[in-house]
Amino acid sequence: MKWLLNVIEKVRPHFEEGGRLKAFHPVFGALEHFFFSPSETTIGPPHIRDPIDLKRYMSMVIISLVPCVLAALYFFGLRFLAMVVVSYAAGLTVEALFAMVRKEGINEGFFVTGILWPLILPPTLPLWMVAVGVAFGVLIGKELFGGTGRNVFNPALVGRCFLALAYPKTMASSWVEPGQAVAGRLLSWVGPSSADAISAATPLALAKQGDMVPTSHMFLGNISGSFGETSALMIILGGGFLLLTRVANWRTVLATLASFFVLTVALIAGGRLTYNMPGVLGPTLWHLCAGGLLFGAFYMATDPVTGPTTNAAKWIYGITIGSVTVLIRNFTGYVEGVTFAILLGNIVAPILDEIVIAIRIRRLRSEG
Amino acid sequence: MRFRGGHNVLLKGRPDSAIKVMPEPKVLYLPLRSERFTFSDIQVKEGEKVQGGDILAKDPDNHSVPLLAPRAGKVRLEAAEDHIVLEDVAQLEERADMVEEEMQHIEKEMGAAGIKRYKLLTLGAWQFFYDAFTGELPDPLGTPQAIIVSTLSLEPFLARGDVQLSRRLLNFTRGLEQLQSLLEYQPIYLAMPNITSEFANLIRNQIRGYAWVKMLEIPLKYPYDNFAILARRLDLKASNGPIWAVRTDGILAADRALTHTKPCTVRILSVGGTGVTTPTHLKVMPGYPIQSIKDQYEFEPDARVLNGGIFTGNILPEETMGVDVECRGLTVLPEQKEREFLGFIRPGWDRDSYSNSFLSSLRKDFRERLTTALRGEGRPCVACNYCEEVCPAGIMPYLIHKYLYADLIEEAEQARVDLCVECGLCSYVCPSKIDLRTQIVEAKDLIAKEKEEIRQEQLRQEEARKREEERKKAEENVE
Repeated sequence: MKWLLNVIEKVRPHFEEGGRLKAFHPVFGALEHFFFSPSETTIGPPHIRDPIDLKRYMSMVIISLVPCVLAALYFFGLRFLAMVVVSYAAGLTVEALFAMVRKEGINEGFFVTGILWPLILPPTLPLWMVAVGVAFGVLIGKELFGGTGRNVFNPALVGRCFLALAYPKTMASSWVEPGQAVAGRLLSWVGPSSADAISAATPLALAKQGDMVPTSHMFLGNISGSFGETSALMIILGGGFLLLTRVANWRTVLATLASFFVLTVALIAGGRLTYNMPGVLGPTLWHLCAGGLLFGAFYMATDPVTGPTTNAAKWIYGITIGSVTVLIRNFTGYVEGVTFAILLGNIVAPILDEIVIAIRIRRLRSEG
Repeated sequence: MRFRGGHNVLLKGRPDSAIKVMPEPKVLYLPLRSERFTFSDIQVKEGEKVQGGDILAKDPDNHSVPLLAPRAGKVRLEAAEDHIVLEDVAQLEERADMVEEEMQHIEKEMGAAGIKRYKLLTLGAWQFFYDAFTGELPDPLGTPQAIIVSTLSLEPFLARGDVQLSRRLLNFTRGLEQLQSLLEYQPIYLAMPNITSEFANLIRNQIRGYAWVKMLEIPLKYPYDNFAILARRLDLKASNGPIWAVRTDGILAADRALTHTKPCTVRILSVGGTGVTTPTHLKVMPGYPIQSIKDQYEFEPDARVLNGGIFTGNILPEETMGVDVECRGLTVLPEQKEREFLGFIRPGWDRDSYSNSFLSSLRKDFRERLTTALRGEGRPCVACNYCEEVCPAGIMPYLIHKYLYADLIEEAEQARVDLCVECGLCSYVCPSKIDLRTQIVEAKDLIAKEKEEIRQEQLRQEEARKREEERKKAEENVE
């Protein structure tokens, strides 16, 4: 790969101080460091560094999303790829523009947002909406706060929230019935205008009308829903991997799912909720697999930047998300509540951190 | 407090357990500076002939701790900057005993306990002692609330205690007894990797009844051997008086000084790290020419030579020609040479990481060939919490980083930046490659400086008030 390094060295002067393309230095830097590890070395103690960097850190999230991406391709077809391309193109443009204005490097954080974004969208959403949503999410949700590391809200969820409020009709009717054949919808294209795109209500919407999809379908994922959210199995596979790498924190995931589980069981057992399904555990498990809960718990709530930092606060953060989801799903007009619950969690996260840090500092006072 | 955090780095080039004796040098280059000391008070003249054990210089700021001549020789003061050079070095004529008269005189002045402390200081054993919390040289005349003795060396790579102990167990236990005689009822804590081993039992049997030693089992994880961490682990408070901390070499030196009244001018140091061919331990004296060590142990070209371990050691300056009096090891680390192609998506079978993001987490023990590469680009903090998890002192490095970023120095002080033991693990694990250790160390220094200024200001005010009062009194008297 010597020739590539030579090419990079050859064009470098154009992008540096005094060069014609100086404004594009962040883009150049991003490409250079994509291919080659940076040449910087440590200057003082400690003289060595852990191999993990933000590129690796974010790559782990992308790798862990592979099962969900495969499930999306299998159940909903090639349109997913088009949405990924649009998502990356629109989002990266915003990201690069801001990097050039701020004269900072392009941050790896967007590569995760760019793949998460289509996974939480309805399958036949118009492509221009995909672009508008991701641009809005990155711009308002992240860049205005100062970029990755300084944002308060998860950019993908800000985008989804925006679309849900701005285009509620399209967002609620862009569902499609997944392929029921063995080959699924692999290599097929289902757009908004094709015959298959009859708007198929999601299981959560059907449940409000008293119609429950079997739990086994919910687990495998051949149901109507957002691209990446339908297959509980694939989410658990990928999410489990993410927890093992220590990139996502298990406390958040466990607290979210456990609080959701406990509250739902309590409400059903207490007679406050009734489903068209016998027993207590049955409908609870059904709910656990429904909608974006698992996807949100594994991939959205665990975003280190927008969640709390301290481990103790992660528990409370997870409990907030889990229980608010139950409340929104069952006691409001919305059928799905994970987006709002996590955004609410993002709001409370700094306060939770503040409390935990205050307690820890008080304990530290008597040390040494 | 219980042990928390910590992380072991699998660095290649661990010194083996042999101690090799280096050939006698012709010339010694004694650096006038070491980690804690600056020997600015020179006691010898140009061209003067000294004997082994003579005092060459003293550090006036550190209880006049002496720089001893390790061998007989001729003094050259101008030959190398910031060094005292000894030429025509000869091993003989070591000052066997301190001058008899001097001793008697001092014994009269100080009493039996005083003479021991005097011997420790002037025979070069005292420089092996640390204050557990501050890391400074403790006052040799003070009384500690406890003594912590550590046989561990967990930072890669420093001279190992077990290597030094193996054949000198008797000297070690005798040294402990000697230390006990300086104390009244204060305990001695002996930190060991395994307190039920045969070796530990041997020590226990030998010291039974002679010294009040409590053994403390320490998990082998960096930096649990840090004296401040050990002191906090034992729930000792800085407000209850100083805590003396000393390693194996210090106990052996105390034994030599107090039992034999001989100067301590031997250092065991490790030569380790990725960039050295045969990592091992060396027995040398302070001032030993570094070039001779380099020649014999073939450091890699363009390697970084560190005075100390990989986490806390400083780069050995080119100008330093000899081993300093506090050196515990030389670590050699090659500089980064090649830029890796698509490094971040490689499986990483040979990459040891704190996170489990590399295939190596499926692998058992291995040693990694590390370089000085930063291995990533600097980024804003993403609040991954690794630094807090790994911090052995229980503080929150990312929080202090954020406070310092916003210039909130008082908040950083509230967050107990002073508890930091400067182990460097936070900088090591940070995925955003933020140099947390440097920032924290700088903040600590700044706070210490400010506190000192406030103290000075208070003293000045106090003095002014006193003067004012005296003036008034004088006026009243006149009236």
